[in-house]
Amino acid sequence: MRTAKPFILLGLALVFAAIYLFPLYWMYVTALKSSTEIFRFPPSFWPSDPQWQFGRIFAEHAMDRYLWNSLLIAVGTTALATLVGTGAAYALSRHRNAWTAVALFLVLMLQVLPPSLMVTPIFVAFNQVGLLETPRAAVVLAQTAKVLPLYIVLCRSTFLQVPRELEDAARVDGASRIGAFLRIMIPLARNGILVVSVLIFLQSFGEYVYSRSLIAAETLQTATVGLSSFMGPNTNDWGGIMTYAAIYVTPILVVFALLQRRIVSGLTAGALK
Amino acid sequence: MTSTRTSQSMTDRSVNFQPAAPAVRAPSPYPPAGGGGTREAPSRRALARIPLLRTLRDGSGFDVVLVLCAVGYLLVFAAFPLAYTLVMSLQQVDMFSLASFDRPFAGLDNYRDVFSRPEALQILKNTVIFVVLSITFQLSIGFGLALFFQQPFPGATYIRGVFLAGWIMPALVVGAIWKWIFAGDFGVLNYLLTSLHLTGGKIFWLSDPDVALFAVIIANIWLGIPFNMILLSVGLAAIPRDLYEAAEIDGARAFRRFRHITLPLMRSTLGAVVALGIIFTLQQFDLIAALTQGGPANASNVAQYWSWQMSFQTYEISAGSVVAVLMIALVILVAALYVRSTEREHAA
Repeated sequence: MRTAKPFILLGLALVFAAIYLFPLYWMYVTALKSSTEIFRFPPSFWPSDPQWQFGRIFAEHAMDRYLWNSLLIAVGTTALATLVGTGAAYALSRHRNAWTAVALFLVLMLQVLPPSLMVTPIFVAFNQVGLLETPRAAVVLAQTAKVLPLYIVLCRSTFLQVPRELEDAARVDGASRIGAFLRIMIPLARNGILVVSVLIFLQSFGEYVYSRSLIAAETLQTATVGLSSFMGPNTNDWGGIMTYAAIYVTPILVVFALLQRRIVSGLTAGALK
Repeated sequence: MTSTRTSQSMTDRSVNFQPAAPAVRAPSPYPPAGGGGTREAPSRRALARIPLLRTLRDGSGFDVVLVLCAVGYLLVFAAFPLAYTLVMSLQQVDMFSLASFDRPFAGLDNYRDVFSRPEALQILKNTVIFVVLSITFQLSIGFGLALFFQQPFPGATYIRGVFLAGWIMPALVVGAIWKWIFAGDFGVLNYLLTSLHLTGGKIFWLSDPDVALFAVIIANIWLGIPFNMILLSVGLAAIPRDLYEAAEIDGARAFRRFRHITLPLMRSTLGAVVALGIIFTLQQFDLIAALTQGGPANASNVAQYWSWQMSFQTYEISAGSVVAVLMIALVILVAALYVRSTEREHAA
C-alpha cells in the first residue's frame, strides 16, 4: 500500500491532465479528420482516414500574411517594452522609498486596464493625431502600454536577485552609472530579461482587441483577426478552422514548453510580490 | 592585497571598463563611489562641473531618467486614454464629431442614456454572474488541483506544468476550439453528455439564450484554472511542513489540517488570487468575441464587450465611453485593494 500510493496519484494526475487538455487534443484530431468525418455523430475520437490539409489551409487563408503581421506586432511590442521597461525595472529595484512606491503603484494600476475598454479612447486619439495611417505601429504602441507594466514588475524581480555588490564594485572601479547598468547589471540579469521578453512576445502574438479595432486594411490584419473572420456566422468548415488554429498555436506551445519552468517561476514571483 | 587592488582599479579607470571583471572579482570592500572623487579622470572632472550632467551620469538622476521614460510612456499611452475616456463620456461623440477636437458637451446625459437602455440591466446582471461563477469555479478547481499536486509523486511538477498550455494560448483560439466543442448538432460535449445520460437531448449551447452565458463561463473557467492553480501552488509551498507534521502527531485528520492550517495561512494568497481573478475576468473579451459575440440578443453579453460593441459596431462612442469609465473605475478599485493588501502584508 505504501509503495503503491505515489503511482495511484500519478495515474490520477494523468487523468486530470488528459481531461484538461482534451480541447487541445480535439483541435488536433479535428484538424486531421476528413470533412465528412467531422460531421459524423457520434463523433470519432481518432481520425479514421487522417487528412493532411495544413498546407492547403495555410495557402488558402493567406496565413503567411496574417502570421507575418502578428509576428511584426509581437516583435515590435517586445522590442519597445524591453527598450522602455528594462531601465525602469532596474531603477525601481535599486531604491525602496516613497517615490519608487508611488511609481510601482502607478505601474500596477495601469496593468489592470482592460484593453477592450481602453481601445475606445485609443482609437479616437490615434485617429485624431493620424496614427491610424500606420495601423500596425498603432497596435504596437497600444499593446506596449498594455504589457509594459507586467514587463517592469517581472523584470524588477529579476534585478532584485542580482547582488548589488557587483554593481558597487564596478562603480568603485570607475564605471559610470550607465556603464555599470549596461555592462554589469544587464548581462547578469540577461536570462530573466529574456524569459520575461518571451512571455511578452507570446502574449502579443495572440493579441486580438487592438488589432481588430485599430487595423482597417485586411492585408495588415493579424492571425487572430484572420481566424475570427474564418469563423464567420455561416461557416461550417470546422476542419479548416481547427487546422488554422493548430498551425497558429503549435509554435506558441513549443516555445512555451521549452521555457515553461522559467516562465512560471518568473510569473509567480511577480504576481505575488 | 589592498595596494594591488587600488592600483588595479586605477588602471581600470584609464582603460575601458571590462565587463567580465566584477564577475570574477570578489565584492568590493569599499563603500560605493564618492571616495574616488579626487582621482577623477580629466573628462569626468569636466563633466562634474555641470551638476545636472553629473547626477545623470553618476547619481540618482540616472534612475530618475530611467523611471521617467517608462512612466512617461504609460502616462501618454495608458493614463491619457484613461482621462480621455472620461472626457468623451461627457461629450457627444459619434461618427461626425470623431475627428473634431471641439465636441458638444453632454454632461451626465450620456450616463442617463446608457442606464435607461433596455439591455443595460441584463448586461449588468450577466457581468456579475460571469465574474462570480468564473471565479468561484476557477478558484475551487484550481485550489483542488494545487492541493493534489502538492502531494509527492513522480512527475508532479511536470504534469502540473502541462496545465499551463491552456493559459499561454491566445484566448481567441481557445474560443474557436470551444465553439466547436459546444456545437449543437455535431459537438463533442453534447455527445459526451447524452451518452452519459446527463442530459435528455442536445443542448444548443451557443444559440439558446438560457445557456449561452454559461457556455462562455465554462470556457472562461477552463482558461483561468492554470493561473489560479499555479499561484495557489506557490502559496501552498510557502506553508512550513512541520506545521502539518505537528498537527498529524496531535491526531488531526486531513480535513481538520486543511481547515485549521491550510485555509488560515492561505488567506492572503486566496485574497490576491480572487482580486487578480476579478481583474482578468473583467478583461475577457476574445472568448466572447469567438463564442457568442454577446448573443443571442445580449443573453451572453457582458459590460466590457458591450462597451466595445457600442464604440466599434454602432459608433456610439460616448455610450461606449460611459461603460468603459464605470468598468475601469471598478477594476482600479479592485486593483487598489489588492495592492494595498499585499503591501500591508510586506510591512508586517
